[in-house]
Amino acid sequence: MTTVRKRYRVGALPWIGPAMAVIFLMVLYPAFEMIKTSFMSIDATGTSHGFTGLTNYRTLFRNPNLTAVLERTVVWTISIVVLTVLISLPVAQILHAKFPGRRFVRYALIVPWAASVVMTSTSWLWILNGYYGILNRILLSLGLIQDQKQFLGSQTQSFTWLIVVAIFVSVPFTTYVVLAGLTTIGEDILEASTVDGASGWQRYKSIIFPLLRPALLIGMVINLINVFNSFPIIWVMTTGGPGYSTDTTTTLAYKISFRNADIAQSAAMATINFGIILLFIVLFLKVSRWRDDS
Amino acid sequence: MKRMTRGAAVTSAIALAVTMAVGITPSHAATTLTMIAADYPGDGHTQQDQWTDFATRFHAANPDITVNVIVKSWNDIDQYVATQIASGQTPDVVNKGDYSAPAAAGLLYPASKIVSPATLADILPAFLNNSKYNGVVYALPDLASARALFYNKDLLTKAGITKLPTSWLSLTTDLGIIHRKLKGIYGYAIPLGPEEAQAEFNIWAGGNGGSYYNYATKAWVLNSPANVATATFLKSLTTKGYTEPNPDKCDRTACAQALFAAGKAVFINGSVFLGSWLKANGGSKLNVGTGSFVSNTGHKPVTLGVQDYFTAYSKNGNQAAIQKWMDFIYEPANYAKFLVAAGGFIPATKSAGAKAASDPALAPFIKLLPNAVFYPGDIASWNSVKGQIQQGIGQAVTGDPAKVLGQLQTAAAAAK
Repeated sequence: MTTVRKRYRVGALPWIGPAMAVIFLMVLYPAFEMIKTSFMSIDATGTSHGFTGLTNYRTLFRNPNLTAVLERTVVWTISIVVLTVLISLPVAQILHAKFPGRRFVRYALIVPWAASVVMTSTSWLWILNGYYGILNRILLSLGLIQDQKQFLGSQTQSFTWLIVVAIFVSVPFTTYVVLAGLTTIGEDILEASTVDGASGWQRYKSIIFPLLRPALLIGMVINLINVFNSFPIIWVMTTGGPGYSTDTTTTLAYKISFRNADIAQSAAMATINFGIILLFIVLFLKVSRWRDDS
Repeated sequence: MKRMTRGAAVTSAIALAVTMAVGITPSHAATTLTMIAADYPGDGHTQQDQWTDFATRFHAANPDITVNVIVKSWNDIDQYVATQIASGQTPDVVNKGDYSAPAAAGLLYPASKIVSPATLADILPAFLNNSKYNGVVYALPDLASARALFYNKDLLTKAGITKLPTSWLSLTTDLGIIHRKLKGIYGYAIPLGPEEAQAEFNIWAGGNGGSYYNYATKAWVLNSPANVATATFLKSLTTKGYTEPNPDKCDRTACAQALFAAGKAVFINGSVFLGSWLKANGGSKLNVGTGSFVSNTGHKPVTLGVQDYFTAYSKNGNQAAIQKWMDFIYEPANYAKFLVAAGGFIPATKSAGAKAASDPALAPFIKLLPNAVFYPGDIASWNSVKGQIQQGIGQAVTGDPAKVLGQLQTAAAAAK
């Protein structure tokens, strides 16, 4: 029995081998290198001076901007994921209903998703421009504002706009995941509930939403990872500025590495980042009781 | 048995292939040099063409040396070079704006080994003085630039101002007049966004006796009283609406120069190439004047000189080939082509400098150079500190000057 099982395992290797090789070379090895780098002393030219213990972490924790950046990263991730879901649920419901031109609306929704995020962010950057932006033009013409507004000038305003743009690019994907979930719900169940006298809201709350949960959870986990690691929107629109006031941990790691020329300290930031996202996912799965219904 | 035969056949086939390969390789080793060069603005994308032309002609004259030149934008080059070195692919020659960190790490050939004595003698001594680390010249200046105060003559006339301001006090008065008389026009465009904040602040601080580094005490002095006073003064201008709003978000090209080109700003700090930039970016009809920067009472106005460098890395041991290539670049005919492709900078050699002095566009800047302050580019951590300044110093003008400069000082003191 044992020999059979052993042979069976070895026999599977050619099939799972490529996948394992990809995981080792593209995921585990770089992660290992990153963690190793975070314990090394590397000067501004990129030359390594051997291991240095926790020095990089100590320097990082002394960074006066770190606490604010960590808090902001949490606000950034949670607000975008939650708002995206809140918007996607009704949008998916509308797209699921039959109406003339539905196909066109469904395609139109793909556009912000299919377009490169850098392109979308660049468009928004110019829409919001304080001197030549079209949004200023429109609001001025409508008489809603008297002077040109610097939408990306202050910390609060620019961070709010970053969140708006991030939601804008996350909604299409989430909507499609929910839409896919909706199409799997059988007409017969819905019909049965109508026969039993359920109102529209009761039907949504007690039947549709619970059946959507698996799709929704997967959509949320993917969003969580994407939003947490989101780099291009912030980098294109504010480069984390003014100062460090719209940075998340991802853009801060980039700045430490490529603006302040400290690769090793940046690796320390990235390692912590890696830890935070793992924590995020574990917490999320726990809260959502992932295993309960599968 | 059968298997062994097959194995033996494979082995001998490999052996044969190896022998053949060895046979093909020429007896004297050919050298390939890798050069990473920054992309100067120029008047189009002429730099890659220029370097390709240089490499082709150099290879024709020296068939055993091939040069690959990789041109990178100013935004990416520091990062690219650091990544190449960290991953063991050290380049042979680099052309960018700093040299001190690799010089301190012992990665560079001294300048005397990368050009012939004749070429070295042709480079202006003032520039060579800014290319030293611990007293040894480690980098060759490729070109330089200087700044001047640019102003929109028509707007100044409209505001009824006939004399250029000479002190911070008279500047404040003039900006107040502009603010009152010209609606929607900013008196002074101050770009303290990440792109060039280190230059803008250095000029203002220099006019108040401030600097980034104190050579006497060998320490960073980012939060010196003079610097804090400078940031406080700039903050007062911004608060009164004399500058564009949010100077900490204002980058040099996309914000300050764009405002100036659109006729929306009266004063701006401009580099040698601003004139040609304005022509290409909608400011060709502007009536522009240049003058000296404004300083605080009791201090002399300064200009900022910036020079860039060629550096040669010793790791690949291609010293002889590098020297031939560098001498080729500095041959007067080639060097002139390099300057044209880069676009309107001040040359670093005596022979080219003599010609440039009669160029009406360059002459005023060359005259300013002797009084120029330079970045502390010979300090090993300069590149890292420069990054910190670019990210943070704008907030000293929108936030609490002493606190922000204090944070930058702490970071600079810890920088490697």
